Amino acid sequence: MKTIIRAAAVAFVATAAFGTIALAGPRDKPAQGKSVGDKDYQWNAGGGEQDEALHLKPDLKNGRDVYEVCAACHLPEGWGLTDGTFPQLAGQHNKVIIKQLADIRALNRDNPTMYPFALPDQIGGPQAIADVAAYIGTLKMNPEPGMGDGKDLEHGKKLYKDNCARCHGDHGQGDNAKYYPRLEGQHYNYLVRQYQWIKEGKRRNANPDMIKQIQWMTERDTKAVLDYVSRIKPPADKIGPKGWKNPDFE
Amino acid sequence: MFVNPLIRPLAVAALLAVAAAPALAADGKQLFTDKGCVACHGEDANTPLDVGYPRLAGQNAEYAFTQMKDIKSGARANGLTAETMKPILDEVSEPEMRALADYLATLPRLAGTGPAGAGKKLYMTKTCVACHGKDGLKPVLKTYPAIGGQEKAYLLTQMKDIKSGARKNGATNAMQPVMHLVTEAEIEPIAEFLANVK
Ligand code: HEC
Ligand code: HEC
Ligand code: HEC
Ligand code: HEC
Repeated sequence: MKTIIRAAAVAFVATAAFGTIALAGPRDKPAQGKSVGDKDYQWNAGGGEQDEALHLKPDLKNGRDVYEVCAACHLPEGWGLTDGTFPQLAGQHNKVIIKQLADIRALNRDNPTMYPFALPDQIGGPQAIADVAAYIGTLKMNPEPGMGDGKDLEHGKKLYKDNCARCHGDHGQGDNAKYYPRLEGQHYNYLVRQYQWIKEGKRRNANPDMIKQIQWMTERDTKAVLDYVSRIKPPADKIGPKGWKNPDFE
Repeated sequence: MFVNPLIRPLAVAALLAVAAAPALAADGKQLFTDKGCVACHGEDANTPLDVGYPRLAGQNAEYAFTQMKDIKSGARANGLTAETMKPILDEVSEPEMRALADYLATLPRLAGTGPAGAGKKLYMTKTCVACHGKDGLKPVLKTYPAIGGQEKAYLLTQMKDIKSGARKNGATNAMQPVMHLVTEAEIEPIAEFLANVK
């Protein structure tokens, strides 16, 4: 009998331990947010952990540790891949990073490849999001991003000025306060994919004004405008040296 | 031994849970023999009968369960699945698959013998490590497979088939978009590395 009770006690401890893990699971899984088209949808409603993350004081050292797994795809330098498989994160605005992470987490973006890495049991809660976003903020941008064919830049320039600059800025710098992404220096193929997905509604928490603004654009227009904006050189102090390797991950 | 009365009901519950768990695993063990799995996958689930057959010992239960369901339904029909493995599953129900998967997960994975070779660097730099974890043994989600210590020929087929889209069941849509980062020639050393992980 004694041994049975002892076994039970041990088992109890074991189940108790598992119990907490099990509890942590479902509670931490964020619910899918409202999407463009849903009743009462509001663009970038934020709230919850997104707002929390925006107001926490970041810990860069922890940010580096959280970033380690991200580096497998986005590279230690945050430069992504020039073919656009993985976007460049370096240089992107803090608020944009946080909002996009929240959107990926909430399944508002179709990103099965990255989805597990956006989950709370991988990254952690709002503090960890604030930390990793701040760490990304320390990285300088890729001096040689992926580009288009460069054949239609005049057309692109005009389109950009008339249709995009009011939000993304006169040289594609975006706007942190308004969650407008930086487009200059981002890999062209990545921009093309995202642009298409925003247009088709596949990014379900993308800016509705932008969606409206771009509906009439032809394939030629799209390529031209994105080739133009991705080629703009960001300010020199934002760009890293060619071939730079991030010493934090040597 | 004194048992705190508050803890007692919990302890009993725990005892029941413990009693239930091995019973299920035992079912799985029995089923593994009765349903003929041993013939192809080996008694220890580590000794495949033929080239291109996988090891199952120590596989994630969630992953193995999904694969059985998908092979049975035809959602996964690449490689040898359709001809060799599917017919067996006609006689296996979902609860039985669950018990089998739970049992397989308890078995020790065979350690490889040795040298990592050039494949390790590719494994670390071509994003594989993010999802499949160190040495292919610590997948990021329970639904993802352990691939360290797997049979080389089997690994090769699966990588090629996920790359080409011949296998697109389950969560392969997470992995498929990164497979253009590796060439056919690079897949070979990666498989060599994974098969020999210690
Ligand atoms: C397995 C590969 C992988 C890992 C690991 C990964 N990502 Fe991603 N990430 C992607 C892909 C692929 C995309 C682009 C998806 C798309 O095309 O919509 C992306 C997109 C993003 C975006 C959106 C960028 C933008 O400008 O729209 C952010 C932000 C991001 N990742 C941050 C992270 C962070 C932080 C981590 C680590 C916690 C991480 N990623 C880990 C593959 C990965
Ligand atoms: C009304 C403001 C607005 C206008 C006009 C606008 N955008 Fe946007 N754009 C945004 C916002 C906001 C986002 C981020 C969407 C989100 O929250 O997911 C975005 C995202 C993007 C993205 C995805 C970037 C990334 O890193 O994921 C691209 C590409 C883009 N815009 C291109 C354009 C182009 C080209 C034009 C002009 C033809 C344009 N946008 C016009 C506000 C705007
Ligand atoms: C006649 C031989 C044969 C028998 C019997 C058999 N299998 Fe298989 N099994 C295979 C082969 C071959 C594959 C790999 C198919 C491929 O090429 O993709 C496989 C694949 C699997 C997989 C997927 C492995 C992975 O890593 O994705 C699981 C799980 C599995 N078998 C479990 C079982 C179980 C449980 C039984 C008994 C009910 C069983 N098999 C009986 C031949 C067999
Ligand atoms: C974004 C996550 C992700 C990345 C990156 C990734 N995989 Fe996978 N891999 C998966 C998932 C998920 C599955 C199982 C798919 C399913 O549910 O059927 C898988 C399956 C496999 C399998 C088949 C396992 C089996 O038992 O049948 C092999 C082999 C494999 N991956 C190797 C690799 C290699 C090598 C790389 C790097 C070149 C890689 N994977 C990169 C997620 C990933």
